[in-house]
Amino acid sequence: MARTCLITGASQGIGRATAVRLSREPWLDNIVLVARSAAGLEATVEACRREAGQSPAIHPMPYDLSQLDGIPDLVARIHEACGSIDVLLNIAGYADPKSLLDTTSENLVTTFTVNVFAMLILSREVVRWMQGRPAKILNIASTAGITARPGWVAYAASKAAVVSLSQTLSEELAGTGIKVYTISPGRTATELRRKLAPEEDPTTIMQPDAVADVIAMLVGDRERTLDGQNIIVREQR
Amino acid sequence: MTVGMAVLAGGVGRRIGRPFPKQFLLLGGKPLLIHVLEKARDLEEVEDVVITCPEAHLAETVELIRNHRLGSRFRCIVGGATRQESVYLALRALESTDSVVLHEAVRPLVTLEEFRALIALPDENATYGLEIPFTVLKGHDYVEGVLDREELFNVQLPQKFDRAKLLAAHEAARQAGTEFTDDASLFVTHAEGRVRVLPGSDRNVKITVPPDILMAEALYADMIGRRS
Repeated sequence: MARTCLITGASQGIGRATAVRLSREPWLDNIVLVARSAAGLEATVEACRREAGQSPAIHPMPYDLSQLDGIPDLVARIHEACGSIDVLLNIAGYADPKSLLDTTSENLVTTFTVNVFAMLILSREVVRWMQGRPAKILNIASTAGITARPGWVAYAASKAAVVSLSQTLSEELAGTGIKVYTISPGRTATELRRKLAPEEDPTTIMQPDAVADVIAMLVGDRERTLDGQNIIVREQR
Repeated sequence: MTVGMAVLAGGVGRRIGRPFPKQFLLLGGKPLLIHVLEKARDLEEVEDVVITCPEAHLAETVELIRNHRLGSRFRCIVGGATRQESVYLALRALESTDSVVLHEAVRPLVTLEEFRALIALPDENATYGLEIPFTVLKGHDYVEGVLDREELFNVQLPQKFDRAKLLAAHEAARQAGTEFTDDASLFVTHAEGRVRVLPGSDRNVKITVPPDILMAEALYADMIGRRS
């Protein structure tokens, strides 16, 4: 049976780097790319083609994950198009760093909708299709979810929620053949990081492809022991 | 005697390396500008605080002041094309005050004690200044001369001036077409009167280039007792 990996946040940063990295994996038949930006997804498709030619098949599916009600239909369409969903990579993220007094309700709702609620609903929907076969879900948390980050209260709290929900799902899905992984990257040169730390020189910190290499290792068939943990990914220099 | 304060928040972020004004950078989770304005709020001596900001960021600055409930003593005006022009506009806006304290949003680690010592000083005009701990030479591509650092000091804000005299000095500078990057320089060039120098603090750093914010984070962590 064909094997499919679904990647959210695939139009830039870690999502794009992971799509490119996984396009080199011979065990994958389909990679589905989800993000709001159709243009960003097309650029990711181009990057995958340059890396790996025509195989695996790359399916860009523009979608705004803040629209929670449409996620079940999105997942059903992906399953229908590809025949399976074997790996879900929840990489999409949102941040609007503000001090407590400058954090609006809209900021809080959007941050938790994209970073937490969409991740949970996607996980729920793919698990419906994953039942009965080995599969993996990998969620991107952050080191911001495990230490104090003044000025990032919404983002840091949402990432703490990701750590928690991932550990809960890992135990809840034990015995089903579905493994749940959590990684918490440290400072990574992405657009999101640029919002969080606008003064930082992105060339001096970890690059997205370093995180993509870790993801590729975790979702590969040989990895069977690191699920259920919050794995810190940091490039020490 | 009535005291006003002008806070310069006119940055557009060129030197910090991002299209993002420095005054909005977060330090310990709070915008740099708010660090300064919270201290101004605690200075009962200051009756009127004018913040000069770029027109493109006026609404954002007004919202910050509202969110942080700084009170009715604080108001924003659009600054000028240069620092000097912004100070001039602030001096005019502070028309009901006798003495004016000048500070800038990108020096967030100034202390209340520094403001209070400056305001309490009997001298009308004063600036903080630091000794220069390194060798200074004259020249650009080649060394053209030696400067005696014993004769020099590093200008540090806050400063205070007699508002009417500084305004008159600004008018004279405008007439003469002279530009200055600090008001003590402008004052001694275009006004009668002396400017007292108070010893500044190594901790009252100015956030100018990206590494400065890293240093300020470390200093701030030490100030609030969070140094690891």
